[in-house]
Amino acid sequence: MLGDGNEGMSTIPGLNQIQFEGFCRFIDQGLTEELSKFPKIEDTDQEIEFQLFMERYQLVEPLRKERDAVYESLTYSSEFYVSAGLIWKTSRDMQEQTILIGNIPLMNSLGTSIVKGIYRIVINQILQSPGIYYRSELDHNEISVYTGTIISDWGGRSELEIDRKARIWARVSRKQKISILVLSSAMGSNLKEILDNVFYPEIFLSFLKDKERKKIGSKENAILEFYQQFACVGGDPVFSESLCKELQTKFFQQRCELGRIGRRNMNRRLNLDIPQNNTFLLPRDILAAADHLIEQKFGMGTLDDMNHLKNKRIRSVADLLQDQLGLALVRLEDEVRETICGPIRHKWRTTPHPQNLVTSTPLTTTYESFFGSHPLSQVLDQTNPLTQIVHGRKWSYLDPGGLTGRTASFRIRDIHPSHYGRICPIDTSEGINVGLIGSLAIHAKIGHWGSLESPFYEISERSTGVQMLYLSPGRDEYYTVAAGNSLALNQDIQEEEVVPARYRQEFLTIAWEQVHFRSILPFQYFSIGASLIPFIEHNDANRALMSSNMQRQAVPLSRPEKCIVGTGLERQVALDSGALAIAEREGKIVSTDTEKILFSGNGDTLSIPLVMYQSSNKNTCMHQKPQVQRGKCIKKGQILADGAATVGGELALGKNVLVAYMPWEGYNSEDAVLISERLVYEDIYTSFHIRKYEIQTAGTERITNEIPHLEAHLLRNLDKNGIVMLGSWVETGAILVGKLTPEVVKESPANRLVYDIVGIQVSTSKDTCLKLPIGGRGRVIDVRWIQKRGDNDNPETIRIYISQKREIKVGDKVAGRHGNKGIISKILPRQDMPYLQDGRPVDMVFNPLGVPSRMNVGQIFECSLGLAGGLLDRHYRIVPFDERYEQEASRKLVFSELYEASKQTTNPWVFEPEYPGKSRIFDGRSGNPFEQPILIGKPYILKLIHQVDDKIHGRSVGNYTHITQQPLRGRAKGGGQRVGEMEVWALEGFGVAHILQEMLTYKSDHIRARQKIPGTTMIGGTIPNPEDAPESFRVLVRELRSLALELNHFLVSEKNFQINRKEA
Amino acid sequence: MVREKVRVSTRTLQWKCVESREDSKRLYYGRFILSPLRKGQADTIAIGIRRALLGEIEGTCITRVKSKNVPHEYSTIAGIQESVHEILMNFKEIVLRSNLYGTCDASICVRGPGYVTAQDIILPPYVEIVDNTQHIASLTEPIDLCIGLQIERNRGYLMKMPHNSQDGSYPIDAVFMPVRNANHSIHSYGSGNEKHEILFLEIWTNGSLTPKEALHEACRNLIDLFIPFLHKEEETSPLEDNHHTVPLSPLTFHDKADKLRKRKKEIKKKIALKSIFIDQSELPKVYNCLKGSNLYTLLDLLNKSQEDLMKMEHLRLEDVNHILVILARKHFAIYLPNKKFEIDFEIYCYSIFFH
Repeated sequence: MLGDGNEGMSTIPGLNQIQFEGFCRFIDQGLTEELSKFPKIEDTDQEIEFQLFMERYQLVEPLRKERDAVYESLTYSSEFYVSAGLIWKTSRDMQEQTILIGNIPLMNSLGTSIVKGIYRIVINQILQSPGIYYRSELDHNEISVYTGTIISDWGGRSELEIDRKARIWARVSRKQKISILVLSSAMGSNLKEILDNVFYPEIFLSFLKDKERKKIGSKENAILEFYQQFACVGGDPVFSESLCKELQTKFFQQRCELGRIGRRNMNRRLNLDIPQNNTFLLPRDILAAADHLIEQKFGMGTLDDMNHLKNKRIRSVADLLQDQLGLALVRLEDEVRETICGPIRHKWRTTPHPQNLVTSTPLTTTYESFFGSHPLSQVLDQTNPLTQIVHGRKWSYLDPGGLTGRTASFRIRDIHPSHYGRICPIDTSEGINVGLIGSLAIHAKIGHWGSLESPFYEISERSTGVQMLYLSPGRDEYYTVAAGNSLALNQDIQEEEVVPARYRQEFLTIAWEQVHFRSILPFQYFSIGASLIPFIEHNDANRALMSSNMQRQAVPLSRPEKCIVGTGLERQVALDSGALAIAEREGKIVSTDTEKILFSGNGDTLSIPLVMYQSSNKNTCMHQKPQVQRGKCIKKGQILADGAATVGGELALGKNVLVAYMPWEGYNSEDAVLISERLVYEDIYTSFHIRKYEIQTAGTERITNEIPHLEAHLLRNLDKNGIVMLGSWVETGAILVGKLTPEVVKESPANRLVYDIVGIQVSTSKDTCLKLPIGGRGRVIDVRWIQKRGDNDNPETIRIYISQKREIKVGDKVAGRHGNKGIISKILPRQDMPYLQDGRPVDMVFNPLGVPSRMNVGQIFECSLGLAGGLLDRHYRIVPFDERYEQEASRKLVFSELYEASKQTTNPWVFEPEYPGKSRIFDGRSGNPFEQPILIGKPYILKLIHQVDDKIHGRSVGNYTHITQQPLRGRAKGGGQRVGEMEVWALEGFGVAHILQEMLTYKSDHIRARQKIPGTTMIGGTIPNPEDAPESFRVLVRELRSLALELNHFLVSEKNFQINRKEA
Repeated sequence: MVREKVRVSTRTLQWKCVESREDSKRLYYGRFILSPLRKGQADTIAIGIRRALLGEIEGTCITRVKSKNVPHEYSTIAGIQESVHEILMNFKEIVLRSNLYGTCDASICVRGPGYVTAQDIILPPYVEIVDNTQHIASLTEPIDLCIGLQIERNRGYLMKMPHNSQDGSYPIDAVFMPVRNANHSIHSYGSGNEKHEILFLEIWTNGSLTPKEALHEACRNLIDLFIPFLHKEEETSPLEDNHHTVPLSPLTFHDKADKLRKRKKEIKKKIALKSIFIDQSELPKVYNCLKGSNLYTLLDLLNKSQEDLMKMEHLRLEDVNHILVILARKHFAIYLPNKKFEIDFEIYCYSIFFH
C-alpha cells in the first residue's frame, strides 16, 4: 500500500485500491462470517450430523495463470476447501475431511476478475443506509405531516406518520395504514407494555377508541387486522398459522430486517441501547420511533436529510461477494440436507464420507452467474488505461435494491455538500443516468460500516507534524474545514489571515486559528477523469463533465505523445492502470525482446512476458514496448515497458497539434473540425483496432475448405483445414472459417430413386461459414482453436483476430480535454491550411464560436501554454486551482511563458502585447493575411472511439420487425433509416410523390406491395400501386378492437345505399 | 485621363541565397531573396512558389518491403528487438536522394547481433542515403536479416491498401514530400511610385535535396504548368456544335451552305440521340444488360451492330429483336444511320403479333 512508509506525507492512494481492498475484506472477513452461518445438518433419524469447520478453510493457488485463463476463456479462480465433519451421534464417532466446496473467482491487483475469459469488474453501489429517517411534508391542506421512514437492510420501506389529530399510523402498503397500536400488538406487546415504554402515553391513550381496544385485545386479533389491511382482503379471515407465516415472510422479513448497520443507525437515531446482534426491528424500536415522531410534531428534534452521504452506505465487492457466498451456502445446505435425508443414503451407509454429501457446483455456478448476469458486474471497459482504472472507481445508485434511471428524483441526482472529497461533483454520465452513476473522488476510501471517508489534515497546536485523518461524512460537518483552493497568504497581518472554510454545509470566511482541518489537495474533490483536465477551474462544470467522459473514450494511438500541459496525475494513472510492465524487484536486464524481458535479480532469472498486439474488450489495441536496454541495472518499481497510450510511464491519450481558432469556409461550423493532411500521412492520429470474430461448431457440423457453390477466390485464404491463414489480408465478405452444416434431407421420391440406383444417400449440407461482416477489413493476426473439454459433442470455438489500421478520416470524432468535441469535416492538403508567420501550416482549425457559449475557457489557456511549451520544449504540470496563489495566476503564467518563448526563439509573433496569444496568420490558398489576429496554440487533442468505420451503414434489403413489418432499427441488425414525420414533410415539400409512396409502402410495412416487387422487377412492367392500409395501421386497428373500439372502412353505394364493408 | 509614365527599374531581377545551413543531416535550411520587384509582384510569385514547394516537389521513398518468413505486420522475428510493424515504420522514415524515374529495387542483408541502420541498405548507384544513421532494427542474436525493398519516386503521399501477395511483401505508406516547410516574407522599400519589394523565401527540406535544388524544381514545375498557355488553343472535339471553326475550303458558297445545313441537321439528330437515354425508351428488360456494357444513350446503342449486340453477355436473340422492334417502332422508323441494322421482317411481324 502506498503511503504506509511515510505517514503524514500525502500521497495519492493506489487508484484501484478501493476494489482490491474490498476483495481482501471479503477473503479476510466475509468468508468466515458466511461459513459461520452454516448450520449443523442432521438427518431425519438424527443419527448423523454434518457440519463445516469454518476455522479451517483454504484457498488454493489458482491452477492456471491469469493470461492462460484469458486465452482459454476460462475463469481465473481458486479452489475453496473447507474441512467438514460427519458425526455419528450413536457412536460419537467423527469423520473429518477437507472437501472442495467450489471455485471462487479471484481478483487481480488491478481490481478485475476474469470470468470465462472476459475481464469483469464489480462496481460499488450506493444504497440508502438502513435505519429510520424523519421528514415533514405538506399535505393537501398545506399542513405539515411528519413521517418516519424505516428502511430495512433489503431496501424495503415502511412508514410511520402522525396526522393532524396526533394519531400515529403505520403505513403498510401504498393505500392502507394501520394504527401503531395494532402494529405493536401484532409484534407481540400488550397495551400495558406499550404504555409503559413510551414517553407520552397520554397521546397514545387519546386515540385509543373502543374499536381499537378490541383489535388489540389479543395478538391474534391484531395480526388478523394487520393482515387484512396489509393484503387488502375483505371479509372475515380466520387466524391460522399459514396466515401468520405469510405475514412473516412478506412483511417482517422484507421490511423489518435491519442488519448490523441498521441496528447501529437505529440505536443512534433513537437513543436506544439494543445489542448489536439483534438485527430485527423490535416493538421497542417502533415505540421509540413513535415517541420521536411526536416530538417532531411538537417541534422538538431534527429532521433528516436522506440524501446526505451519512445516510448512505456503499455496497462494495466485498458485500456483493459475501451475499453471493451466503446464497451459495444456502443452496449447498439444501443439497446436503437432501442427500443426508434422502432415500439414497442407505446405499452409502457403509462408507459415508463428508465428500459424498457435497458438490462444488452450487458455489461455482452461483459465482459464475453472479459475474455473468448481475447488473453491477460489468465487462471491463478497456478503451484505454484511464478507462480501465476509472471503471473500478465507479459507483451506482441503480439496481438491484436501488433506484431506476426513469424514476429517480432530481434531488437524489444533485450534488450534496456531503459529497465533497468523497464523490466527484462533475464526473457522471450524461443522459438518463445523470447523477445516478458517478465516480469516486481520488482520495475517497471505504471505511467501516460502508461509509465513504475522505482524508483531512488536522491543524492543531499540540502536534508539530501534520496529521492525516479519515473522516466519515457525518463527522466532518461539525468541524471547520479550510477549502484547499485558497491560502492564507500573509501570515504577519492578522486581518489577512482569513480563509474560506466549510462548516455545516455552508461556506464561511473565518480566521486561520479557527480552522480545524484543511483539505489535502486542491483536486481532492474530483475524480481521476476530472483531475486530468488542466485549468479545470476555468471551465464550466458541464463541459468538464463531458471532458472527463470523453477522455475515457480516447483511442490509444500508434505513436502516443505526452501532453505538454497536464495536471501531474498522468504518471499515477498510467502506473496504476496496469498498462505498464514494472520491475517487481531490483535486477539486471539479461535480454529484451518484443515478447518478453528477461532480468536477473537475487540470483534467479525472471521472465516478464509483454502484451503483444492484443485486443481489448473495446477492440482497441494493447501493446507493450520495452523501454530498457540490455545489460542495464534496474531498480524496483522501474518501468520496463510502456503500454498502449503511455509514454515514459505517463498517460498519453492524444497528440499535441497546432490549432487555430477561426472559421474556414464554413467547414468548421457547428463544431466541425478541419484538419491537415499531415495528420493522415504522418500517422499522427493512426490507431489499431483488433476485432475478434468467433464461430462455434456443434454436433455434426464440420469445418472444411471444400465449400460447394462458392467461387474459388473467396476460398483462397483458407488453409487445408478450412480456417483462414495467418497473415492473410481479408476484406468484407471473405470467408474466415468454412463450415458446413448437414441438412436433413426430405425423403422425396427422387432421392429415394437416387439412393436405390447409386446406393448413396444424397446428403446436402448448408454452408454456415463465418464471413467477415460489412465494414470489416484487415490482417488476420491470430487464429485460436479452443476445444471445450468434458462435453460429449465436442463443441469447438474458433476465434479469428483481425487487426485494422485506421488513419483519421472525415467523420471521426476528436475532442480536447475541455469538452470541446467535434467531427472531422474536411482534410486539406498542408499547403491549403492557414499558416503561421514562420510558414508552419496549422494542423487543425476549430471554430471560435464553440468557446463563448460553452464557457470552457480552459482550452484557451491550454492552447497558448501548449504553444509556449512546444517552442521551449517544456512540459508543464499544473495542479488545478493555481489561482489560490495569486489573482489571475493562470493567465500570468501563460503570458509569461509565451513571452519567454517569443524571446528565446526570437519569434516576435508568438507574443504580441496588443493581442497576447493571438497572431496574424495567412491563408494557405492565397497567401493573404486574415483580417483579424487569430488565436493559435498547441492543445492536446484526442481521437475518440466513435469512428465512422463503425457507424457507416446502408440498407438495400433486410429484415423487418415481426409485428409492425417495418424495417428493423440499428446498424447491427442491418436496419433501415427511419423516414419519420419530418422527413415525410420534406418529401411532401418537394412534391416527390413517388419516392414518398415508395418509402411508405414497398420499402416499409406494406406487405403485399412489398411481396410483388421482386416478381415485377424480374418480369418487367410497372409496379402496382398499393391499395389497402399498411401493416402497422392494421396493427393499430386490431389493438383498438382489443379495446372494444371498432375502426373500419365502409363503402356506401350511391344508388341503393348498400353498405359494403372493407377489411382493413 | 493621362497616365503617368511609370518608370521601369533598370535593374534586372536577381536572386541570391542569403543564408544556408545544415541543422542536421535531415534538416536543411535556406533563405533566398528576389529583388527588385514591383509592387504586388512579390505576392504573385511568393504564394505560387510556396504552394509549389509544398505540393509539387518529388521525393524518393521506400514503398514496399519484401521478406520471407514473416506471417504478418504484427508479428515478431526472433532475435530482433522491434516488431515487424515498427521496422516498417522505420523504413517509412528513411530519406533517400535519387534522380530515379519510376521504381527500383534495393535490399538489406545483415547478420546480427548489432544495429541495422540506413547505411546497411544496398542501393543501386543512382539512389543515395541521406542519413546513414537512421535506425531500422536492432538484432539481438546472430540471425540473418534479409529484406528486399522497392523504391519509388513520386510526389504527394501514397497510402496503399495491402493485399494478399504470395511473395510476402508489405506496402508502406509513402510520404514523398522533401520540403518540410516553406515561408515567404515581403519587404517593400522606396517611396511614392518607386516602391519596390524584396521577396524573402525560407525553405526547410529533409535533406534529400538542398533548399536551392528545391527552389529550382519548384520553379520548373511551376513553369511547366504555365507552358500550355503559351501554345495555341487546341481544336476541340468535332462533335460539339462549333461549325464556325469549319475551315474554309475552295467551294462555292452554295455548296458550302448546303453542306453546312446538312451537317447541322446531322449534328442536331446526333445530339438528339445522344440525349435520349436507354431507360427512356421502354427497354426495361434489357436495360441493366445494356448499361452493363456501357451503353447509356441511344447513340451508343445505334453505333453497335447486331452482331455486337449478340456478343453481349446475357443478351438473347429475342432481346435483340425486341430492341430492334422498339427502336424501329418508336424512334427510328425514319432514321437508321449507316444501315447497321437490318430488321428481319419475319421477326418483326412475329413480335408485332405478340405485342
